[in-house]
Amino acid sequence: MTIVSYIFLIIGAMFFLLGGLGVLRMPDTFNRIQAGTKATTLGAFSIVIGVIFGSVENHLDWIPKLIIIIVFIAISSPIGSSTIAKATYRSKNIPDNLVQDDFKKRGENQ
Amino acid sequence: MKKLFGLLITFALGLVIILALDNTVNFPRFGEVNLSERISGLYLSETNVEEVGSANLVTSIVLGFRTFDTLGEVTVLFISSLGVAFILGGTKQKRLDLKFKPNFMLRVGSNILLVIILITSFYIILHGHLSPGGGFPGGAMIASSVLLLYLADDRFRSNIKGFKVLEGVAGSLFVVIGLLGLVFATAFFANYLPTGIIGNLLSAGIIPILYVLVGLKVGSEIAGIIDNFLTEEEEEIA
Repeated sequence: MTIVSYIFLIIGAMFFLLGGLGVLRMPDTFNRIQAGTKATTLGAFSIVIGVIFGSVENHLDWIPKLIIIIVFIAISSPIGSSTIAKATYRSKNIPDNLVQDDFKKRGENQ
Repeated sequence: MKKLFGLLITFALGLVIILALDNTVNFPRFGEVNLSERISGLYLSETNVEEVGSANLVTSIVLGFRTFDTLGEVTVLFISSLGVAFILGGTKQKRLDLKFKPNFMLRVGSNILLVIILITSFYIILHGHLSPGGGFPGGAMIASSVLLLYLADDRFRSNIKGFKVLEGVAGSLFVVIGLLGLVFATAFFANYLPTGIIGNLLSAGIIPILYVLVGLKVGSEIAGIIDNFLTEEEEEIA
């Protein structure tokens, strides 16, 4: 069980590393949102799941709290990224090479 | 000249810090302090911990030995919220007009997040005598959930009168519990309830009750400050 937990922890750390690299290397805001929220959401999930596997033996009472943490990350991170994306769109800070613009098509300026 | 002056100040400050952190009588090395001649040694000795009954040493000092100081902290926060209300408050208020409307997903998602934030904040308040945290951070978390609702919904107004009543009741009960110490024990804020077993949820006498009251007071006060910042006086139509 400990080995499974270590594997999950390492996977989570890898995703965090890739997410941090993506924030540094991606060219514009929309791509950085992808790297900063999607990758780190998966990384946080893996780390918390690793802690769950690690706490099965000695700390069974941690598991409900950890599940609450997973639910919190699962809701807060996508909402945060979508809000940042919409704020970026409103601030007209859009890259020139945008292929498709559904907001403009819908005539929605909010 | 300016750069030379800055350099001089930097060197002087560095010298002062090095001299102050040197292994002298005033600032001994980490872990080598002789606590027997200081008042903190009195707080940390085992008999006193058993007397207060709190597993968290910080809480045993903040609400066990120095509750009067905590009353002062609560008063400071009260005065600051009073000042904000005095400058920004008014009788008829409405929300500030936002330039853009928050979208549907943010509005609905924040309601789900509110539940988790409130659960965590009450957990932190109730376990203040067992683990790090307590009334002040837990109350700030309650206020942050109110701030989330304000930012995620442009039409939201919290029931600010209810918050004001809660603040007053919690603050008065805090003092009343302290005054009861004069009746049942010898001093203001004396711990007159049975302390129980150290580490249990129901232990440490009046400390959990005081922390719940502090948490409710801090939460409602900061929520009131947030409301004052995000509202404006309604223009009277003549």
